[in-house]
Amino acid sequence: MNPLLEPVGVSHFMAVGALMFVCGVVCMATKRNALGVLMGIELVLNGANINFVALSSSFLSASGKSGLGLDGQFIALFVIVLAAAEAAVALAITLNFYNNHATVDVDRADELKG
Amino acid sequence: MEQSALIWLSLIVFLPALGALALVAIPSDKPDVIKLFSLGVTVAVFLATCVVAFGGATDTAHFEKGVAEMQDAFSLPWIKSFNIYYFMGMDGISFTLVMLTAFVTMLSMGASWSIDRHVKAYCILFLLLETGMLGVFLALDFFLFYVFWEVMLLPMYFLIGVWGGPRREYAAIKFFLYTLLGSVFMLIAILILYFNSDLRELSADQLVAAHVVDGVDAAEAIRSEPKAQHTFNILALSTMGQHTQLFDDELFLGKSLQWWAFLLLLIGFIIKVPAVPVHTWLPDAHVEAPTPISMILAGVLLKMGGYGIIRICYPICPDAAFDLAWLVTSIGVVSMLYGAFAALAQKDFKRLVAYSSVSHMGYVMLGIGVWSATAGNNYNPEYWQMGMNGAMFQMIAHGISSPGMFFMVGVIYERVHHRNLDEFGGLFAKSPVYSGIAFGIFFAGLGLPGLCGFIGEVFVTLSVWNYSHVLAVLSAATVILTAGYILWTLQRVYLGPEYKGPHGDHITPINGRELAIAAPLLALAILFGVYPRAIFDYMTPSVNKEVEDLAGWTRATKESRLLEQRVELDRRRGIENDPLIGEE
Amino acid sequence: MDTKTLASLLPILLGIAWLLPLASFTLIVLFGPRMGKHGVGASYLATLAIVSGFACSVVALGLWMWVHPLSSAHAAAPEESIDAARQHEAVVDHGADGHASGHHELKTPIYYTGDLYTLGQFGKLKVTISFYIDALTVGMFAMVTLIASCIHFYAIGYMHDELHDVTDHEVVLSDGHHLHRPGRFHRFFQYLSLFCFSMLGLVYAGNIAMVFVFWELVGICSYFLIGFYIERKSASNAANKAFIVNRVGDFGMIIGLMALWGGIGTFAFGDMEEPDGTTSRGIFSQVRDAENGYKLTIPDGMVRATVPEVVEEVAVDHRNNPDPLAAESEIASRLSTYREQHYGYWLLVIAGVGIFCGCVGKSAQFPLHVWLPDAMEGPTPVSALVHSATMVAAGVYLTGRFYPVFTPEARLVIAYCGAITLFLAATIAITATDIKRVLAYSTVSQLGYMMLALGVGGWVAGLFHLITHAFFKSLLFLCSGSVIHACHTNEMPKMGGLLKKMPWTGYTMLVGCLAIIGAGLPPVFGFWPFGFGLSGFYSKDSIIAQAYSFWTENPTHGMILFAAAAGGASITAFYMFRLWFMTFIGPPRDHHIYDHAHESPRIMYLPLVILAFFAVVIGWTWPGVWGVTDLLEQARWPAEASAGVLLPNLHYPDEHESHVPAVHLVAGLTAFSTALGGFLLATVFYGVRWLNAAEARQQFAPIYTFLVNKWYFDELYDFLWVRPAHVVAGVVSWFDKQVIDGFINNLARWTRGLADIDDLIDRYFVDGLVNLTAAWTWSFGNSLRGLQTGKLRQYVMLIVIGTVALTIIINFASAG
Repeated sequence: MNPLLEPVGVSHFMAVGALMFVCGVVCMATKRNALGVLMGIELVLNGANINFVALSSSFLSASGKSGLGLDGQFIALFVIVLAAAEAAVALAITLNFYNNHATVDVDRADELKG
Repeated sequence: MEQSALIWLSLIVFLPALGALALVAIPSDKPDVIKLFSLGVTVAVFLATCVVAFGGATDTAHFEKGVAEMQDAFSLPWIKSFNIYYFMGMDGISFTLVMLTAFVTMLSMGASWSIDRHVKAYCILFLLLETGMLGVFLALDFFLFYVFWEVMLLPMYFLIGVWGGPRREYAAIKFFLYTLLGSVFMLIAILILYFNSDLRELSADQLVAAHVVDGVDAAEAIRSEPKAQHTFNILALSTMGQHTQLFDDELFLGKSLQWWAFLLLLIGFIIKVPAVPVHTWLPDAHVEAPTPISMILAGVLLKMGGYGIIRICYPICPDAAFDLAWLVTSIGVVSMLYGAFAALAQKDFKRLVAYSSVSHMGYVMLGIGVWSATAGNNYNPEYWQMGMNGAMFQMIAHGISSPGMFFMVGVIYERVHHRNLDEFGGLFAKSPVYSGIAFGIFFAGLGLPGLCGFIGEVFVTLSVWNYSHVLAVLSAATVILTAGYILWTLQRVYLGPEYKGPHGDHITPINGRELAIAAPLLALAILFGVYPRAIFDYMTPSVNKEVEDLAGWTRATKESRLLEQRVELDRRRGIENDPLIGEE
Repeated sequence: MDTKTLASLLPILLGIAWLLPLASFTLIVLFGPRMGKHGVGASYLATLAIVSGFACSVVALGLWMWVHPLSSAHAAAPEESIDAARQHEAVVDHGADGHASGHHELKTPIYYTGDLYTLGQFGKLKVTISFYIDALTVGMFAMVTLIASCIHFYAIGYMHDELHDVTDHEVVLSDGHHLHRPGRFHRFFQYLSLFCFSMLGLVYAGNIAMVFVFWELVGICSYFLIGFYIERKSASNAANKAFIVNRVGDFGMIIGLMALWGGIGTFAFGDMEEPDGTTSRGIFSQVRDAENGYKLTIPDGMVRATVPEVVEEVAVDHRNNPDPLAAESEIASRLSTYREQHYGYWLLVIAGVGIFCGCVGKSAQFPLHVWLPDAMEGPTPVSALVHSATMVAAGVYLTGRFYPVFTPEARLVIAYCGAITLFLAATIAITATDIKRVLAYSTVSQLGYMMLALGVGGWVAGLFHLITHAFFKSLLFLCSGSVIHACHTNEMPKMGGLLKKMPWTGYTMLVGCLAIIGAGLPPVFGFWPFGFGLSGFYSKDSIIAQAYSFWTENPTHGMILFAAAAGGASITAFYMFRLWFMTFIGPPRDHHIYDHAHESPRIMYLPLVILAFFAVVIGWTWPGVWGVTDLLEQARWPAEASAGVLLPNLHYPDEHESHVPAVHLVAGLTAFSTALGGFLLATVFYGVRWLNAAEARQQFAPIYTFLVNKWYFDELYDFLWVRPAHVVAGVVSWFDKQVIDGFINNLARWTRGLADIDDLIDRYFVDGLVNLTAAWTWSFGNSLRGLQTGKLRQYVMLIVIGTVALTIIINFASAG
């Protein structure tokens, strides 16, 4: 079956989410700029959020009854809050790093190596 | 009565310990205050013993002359699950030694004025030592006895090891290890006896007499217990030793349990006496120890060995004591002769006095051991009583003369800082009062009549003949050697035209403090020599009772065993010699 | 006055006499240096004490003779009055043939005894301080206090030098100067007082243990007095020697005491009433039982002690018998058979010989005579009092006191000891040149006489000589002291011709010499049967008579002993007059000394006169009123003629037999002729000098050397005893240090070695394992370090790869 021919359903949302996730991961793995990495993280989180929202939506499910229900939406909201907090902390670390090293290149930040 | 006994005896024993505790509060930069305080404590202890001895007040414990049994005894549960009691009391044997301890300790505290290093620590240890010594003599619970025995050991170690002479560490460790070896043997023996004891074997009266329980009802309750009732009560153990078969089981190598217990205890005690061949800690300890500690060592610590043998070995293990009497007496005579010969060869003044102690304490062993109350003597206990009383007297007499001798050495050592006998001489001219007192005290050691040494030595010697002629002759021969080494020493130190050693200009006459220590010793030496009943009246009833008990035991119990043995021996010999017997 | 009053008075009187010197001693010890100038008051105090003691003793003697009048030994039976406390009398037919009366009664001598206080009591065994007063005690008290009083007075003069600072010329200090020291006047009198107390205590003693106590005390006084000049090495050596040699004797004495104590269980001499009304029997009445006719009886205890197997048998049979007396009575009933077989006799011999050993030491008898000549290092008054008149006589006194206990065998030992001593010492005295040493050897020799007398059964003779000798020998010593005081030397070859300078001393000494050689007219039969002379004459005569009487019964022993006694008398006469002639007669040999010599002050020569008077008259008898022998006779325990058990041929004649004219005539003539011979020989050599002594010395050079070296006894003992003792001491000390301590130290070293090995094991094996584990863990962790690059992007990659890998694995796993 061709997904492009199907009516928009959960799987489509999940495909977008997965794409965003992979983009985010690739972004994290390839960007040397710390801000880039942070953006990648946001992508990963939001990719996951899409999944939660999609799976909890009663409109998208065939039976009209969602699997997760309101739980998924709560978790999505939780992740958003978490992402905001995380971004705040991470930006603070980055700023500090920049103050100390005058760069935001994550490859230079190897002081935690064993 | 019991209440006052509890208070007074505990006071006597623990007053020094309390004093030591109080000393902690006194700042250590006031040595004179510390010394005065310690002296005050020792004087208080001595006065307390005097109150017990002479005071007749109803609210104090009082030692009744002429009573043989334990007096002022009290017993409180201490460690209930092992039947350990806080059990103390005194009879003529222990009380005289308590008096001696309090007296000698007081004098040697006075002799401690010349200690100038770590005075506070010294005084604390000194007072703890006194608690240990008094406790040993008063404890009637074997466990308590052992605790006090060990309590005494540690302060002594430090007192020698810190305030001693140049080889103090060696001497202190030697002293400690020797004594500890003895204690370990003693501990084994204590446990052997403990685990084989059983209070149920005793009659109700015996239990009451041994202060195990207060009344007959409680005694019956113990007797009806289902399991064996072990005990550390020395009196109860003695009763078991003399009236039951509890300690007669074979333990090892065909010897009975009490034989081994006796041997172990004996080794523990003769190390303390000390007797040849376990005496070599003594000369070293004496030579290195400071003068007051030497005085205590000679005056009190050595007596614990003799006391232990009289109080513990003999009453608890009579059967073994009977079989090993030859060993005890032989050790005594060998010590007498050996110590005298060794003293003759010494160059060091203090070493010589130490060896004289070995020789003099040999009399104690000999007097204790002369078990002449046998069938061949119709169980007549009188000669043995004389020997054991002589031994006890010798302990007291030696407790007077020997600290005196050590103090005399200390006085001159403080002035000239050497003890080489060949480098003295002429002291009589330089300080006549000191020399006069020294002559008196050394003559007391020599056994001159009219001084305390004579009575003990002669009584012991006279009692030996009916036990063994050979030992008697050997012990009589000691008088020649004793005269030899003491007179030769006096000649080398006090007589002669001039002093030959260094620091001759430091020889000053004896001062008031020293006189106050030496004079009472000499006075007592004369008093006890002229009127020995001053001591005998206290101790004789108890000593006599112990000997009579043992003589009675020989007659009632041992004789049958000997007969059985003889019959058995004859039977075996008969089978060997006469093969026909088997066929008949 | 009756005996009861006397019994209560005598102990008090003599007790005061005994204790006064002790009080004096105590006071001088405490306040001596503060008594007057330089302590001169000490001498007055001591003298006062002893003179008061003398007064008490004389009163006691007077009372005694009033209540118990003397009866001549040859007259009727003694008085019937005996101590009210006990009366043991036995009238036994004696049957001595030659005796004047043929029969005489045997009875227990009169004595008073009692306890003062108890030193220690164990059952029936009791050691006490007690008194035993009989005629001998009273006589000895009077003699000792009299002589001591004289000597105290004399010493006040003689010790005068000690009142100020003294320069001792015999002591050279290391800087080459003579010793200069303060005087010690008071100390001398302090020791003298202590000595008097001890000596009187010895005589007062009521039991042998108390005798031993005071025995030792006189010994220590002698030690102090010999070593009075403590700075002199020779003096302190002599003092040590005296005490130690005496201790050798005491060793024997202790064995004797032990045998007595073990056997009899009492030390008391006499029977004594106990507080509970019973009478406890003393040694004497047990050994010489009145019911047994005073024959030597082996006491029950001694028989018992030698048959332990019998006692054991009975005791074992009765061991369950509730009546403790049953066994005792059965044992007692069995003993008589063993007594008849002389069981326990050897215990009695040991007791006797043992006690005598003590006497040998104290009385300087062979073989322990070596200390007395050296003891002359002490000041001369000491030599006179302690080392001639009293202390050394204590041995003889004790032998006499203990006489009833000696078995015939023990007596023979005593006799031989005395005979050897008297001959030995006399020969040495011939060659000695030190005036005090001659007298010292003479003392030893005379003590030998006394022992010999006692040994051959002459109880009264021996003690009589003890008393007479005390007077003339103290006189002689004081005279020699006077000479030394004048000449400042002891050497006789430096003296001579002093009679003109010191007439008092010279003539009193002549009296002494005559007394000691026993000068007198020999008995002329029918005219005066017992002769007439100075005190020594009587006592020496009775000794020789007794020896002769002994000879008649025992041919071999008797001959030797009699020869020794007679020969000794001759030598005595020779050396005594050699001394006197060399000192007082002839030309002065050293003019320096002669010119400075002077008669001593009156306080010194008056005592000489008093003593000379007694040296003349003390032996005289006024029948029924006074007589030393009669006094002594009252104290005699009947010791019947008895044969030995071990030596059955030994017979002891009764002492009264020696008074028979036939015996006495021979003895008297022998004594007279031998003494005369000795005197004449001395006159020939030293008085009129017909012969030259130096030539004789040349002629007998080997003997002379031998004698001058005192028979080499000092060297022998040094070799035999002193050196071995030190060697043994060294060996013991070495053993102690090397073997016992070596063992201990090695034990410690081995223990430490063991500990080291243990330490190695601990360090390299046990710890090794632990460390190895740690090391492995470490290196493993280290190897993981590499992963931790710190590179964020790598971590992300790893997470991704890891997640993917996990997914795949889980998928495959769930698929598989």
